[in-house]
Amino acid sequence: MKLHVHLSPNWVLDSEMREYPPQEEVDFCIVGTGAGGGVLAQRLARYGFSVVCLEAGPWHDSETDMVSDEAASSRLYWEDLRITGGTEPLEFGANNSGRGVGGSTVHYSAFCPRLHPSDFRVRTLDGVAVDWPISYEDVEPYYEMMEREYPVTGPAYFPWGKPHGYPYAPLQAGTAGQMLIKGCVKLGIRVVAGGPVSIPAGAVGKRPHCIMRGFCNLGCKVGAKHSITVSHIPDAIEHGAEIRDRCMAYEIPLDDEGKVTGVRYYRTVDHDRYTAEEQRARAVVVAGYAIETPRLLLNSKSSRFPDGLANSSGLVGKNLMAQAGPVVWGRFDEMIRQYKAPPACAETEEFYETDPRNDFVRGYSLQTVAPLPISMAHLIADEDGCFGEELLLAMEDYNHYACIGVLGEILPDVRNYVSIAEAKDDYGIPVAYAHFNLSDNDKRMMRAGIGKAKEVLVAAGAVETHSVHRYAHLVGTCRMGFSPSDSVVDKWGRSWDVPNLFVCDGSLLPTQGSANPALTISALAARMADWIRTAARGSELQKRPRPSDRGAT
Amino acid sequence: MVCDRYPGYHVLDQRGHWDEATRRVVLDRVHNVPPFRHLDAHQRATLEALCDRVIPQTHRSPSRKVPIAPWIDQNCGREVLGGFRFEDMPANSVAWQWGLEGLDQTAQALFNTHFVDLDGARQDEVLQTVRGGDPPGEVWQRMPARRWWIAVALRQITGQYYAHPYAWDEIGFGGPAYPRGYFALNHGAPEPWESREAPSSRRGKS
Repeated sequence: MKLHVHLSPNWVLDSEMREYPPQEEVDFCIVGTGAGGGVLAQRLARYGFSVVCLEAGPWHDSETDMVSDEAASSRLYWEDLRITGGTEPLEFGANNSGRGVGGSTVHYSAFCPRLHPSDFRVRTLDGVAVDWPISYEDVEPYYEMMEREYPVTGPAYFPWGKPHGYPYAPLQAGTAGQMLIKGCVKLGIRVVAGGPVSIPAGAVGKRPHCIMRGFCNLGCKVGAKHSITVSHIPDAIEHGAEIRDRCMAYEIPLDDEGKVTGVRYYRTVDHDRYTAEEQRARAVVVAGYAIETPRLLLNSKSSRFPDGLANSSGLVGKNLMAQAGPVVWGRFDEMIRQYKAPPACAETEEFYETDPRNDFVRGYSLQTVAPLPISMAHLIADEDGCFGEELLLAMEDYNHYACIGVLGEILPDVRNYVSIAEAKDDYGIPVAYAHFNLSDNDKRMMRAGIGKAKEVLVAAGAVETHSVHRYAHLVGTCRMGFSPSDSVVDKWGRSWDVPNLFVCDGSLLPTQGSANPALTISALAARMADWIRTAARGSELQKRPRPSDRGAT
Repeated sequence: MVCDRYPGYHVLDQRGHWDEATRRVVLDRVHNVPPFRHLDAHQRATLEALCDRVIPQTHRSPSRKVPIAPWIDQNCGREVLGGFRFEDMPANSVAWQWGLEGLDQTAQALFNTHFVDLDGARQDEVLQTVRGGDPPGEVWQRMPARRWWIAVALRQITGQYYAHPYAWDEIGFGGPAYPRGYFALNHGAPEPWESREAPSSRRGKS
């Protein structure tokens, strides 16, 4: 079919997209088109595989579907029901869940830091959580690839983790971003300006440069900010992948040999009318992010897997992690006008690693954030429930606030999980229930991060500071590991239980560090694609892993 | 005291510089306020009284008052709002019905009358009690008051108010900026089309 989607004002994606009849068995059916699924589709299509991506949401045309308006952007988010509980119930929707081609990358702020080498060895180094079955060095070449493909802008020398440099120069900071830089400099804290963020200062391909409009979290109408839709989806389509939008997967069927045969889904034909279809595939990749991925697996029950597909470990949905994301804001006497320029601008990872002087292990990053008016009003209301003149006066100071996001490492805990609720969505599919609590380590880390962010703001000149708890990013619910008993998938993202089933999104991450996960998810997808290319040659994808494969690292 | 921080600033004057899709949704919000459909007359009166206490608009001329309650009534036609529901909360429409009933129950316990029949100061006392998290009233035994107050009442009321361009004028928000963009990035400077803040209106240093 002929596409017609604006990805920026002067770039219409008008490719002739290949379409596969659902009954035709393709090599790969990928559920989801975000940081994981989108990159994997592009790689696999380039490697010559036939690929169909099922995307629950629609294409977002940058000219007609994206607006510079907080209240009218719900189309970009996963707005279907999820039930949230625990002592710190997570908020979903606009906070962390995208819907549509490109997934959550459509509305992410585009901070793209790497994990640190230590993140892969948390158990060894700190005696908590788990080690990854792979090392930083395994992912490093893929980080380098993704930093050029997104591309990521930042300093020529980035001092944290394994020091490296960025290929593209950063954008200018707005006044709000300059407050983090100023405060850190005053306190002698190393800080980097302009990245790592995937918003190039110049044009990239058909993408123009940024116009500083500040609506990054509501989709970039300019096409300057990175999303997988502008970086990888066009190339995937160019190489023969089909992106089938408005198709909501609900079950992955299994054959008698214990292999998956495709994906069952509801396809929207117009408005509220949809039909059930089944795409046949030699292999299936679930890339729906850390809530929808376990939901689809847990909803796919069979006699072989009565507790959900690929769940012999019982770990599908377990170890749900959000990143701590408290927002700290300071009021300044001078004008800030935080709505100008991209919110993602500057950060420090000086407090990322375990510091024996702390009363907690692991750490946090401090990053710029810049809430638009509704988000700011919600922060003020959340802090202590104020109302009336107190609220209006606090909001009248909108242009005097600069904000810092504390991005902190919450450790995996099996008591935090995704399961299936009794409620159903509009399709009649049982919805996800998410349960989330904090450990003492998490609480101490957040307290320290909030305190440090306040110090920075005061050093920059803030006359008063405030904070509220927030949580960002969702990972960990189908972790990769060393053996079928300690994880859902192996180090390549392949199910231990089902040889032709993969997970390719944030669910894979055994731990999360204090780095925004998009770049890591894409790097793991590219790495997975390279392994699949080799494995497919030896027809390994059609075999159950031999016992000798298990536990091999 | 709420005052005119950005005198003469009307962000809507810039609508000719906005893209068509954005202009449509913002002007639609200004000109096409939805009729009440879901809440009954008493619930509606209670909701309007609540909105007036959360966002007092006495400083505005009647023609510049931002409607809030009609949009909340419209939201009551949707079971799910924002992509999730807290496990200790009912569906959105039920949360509003219960919450408004709860305001009456608390008002009855404190002042022996309905919420709408109280003066502003006493309505604030009721709201402070709800805000405190343990108000009297049977409703609050089945729905956590603090959660309703912040996650339902304040979030939706402030969400509607600060979605309106008249509220943007009040806080000096530049509004939609595509395709023009922003150019003045240093020292919080205004664009040529933005107003400067009136120096006399600043809050004192704390």
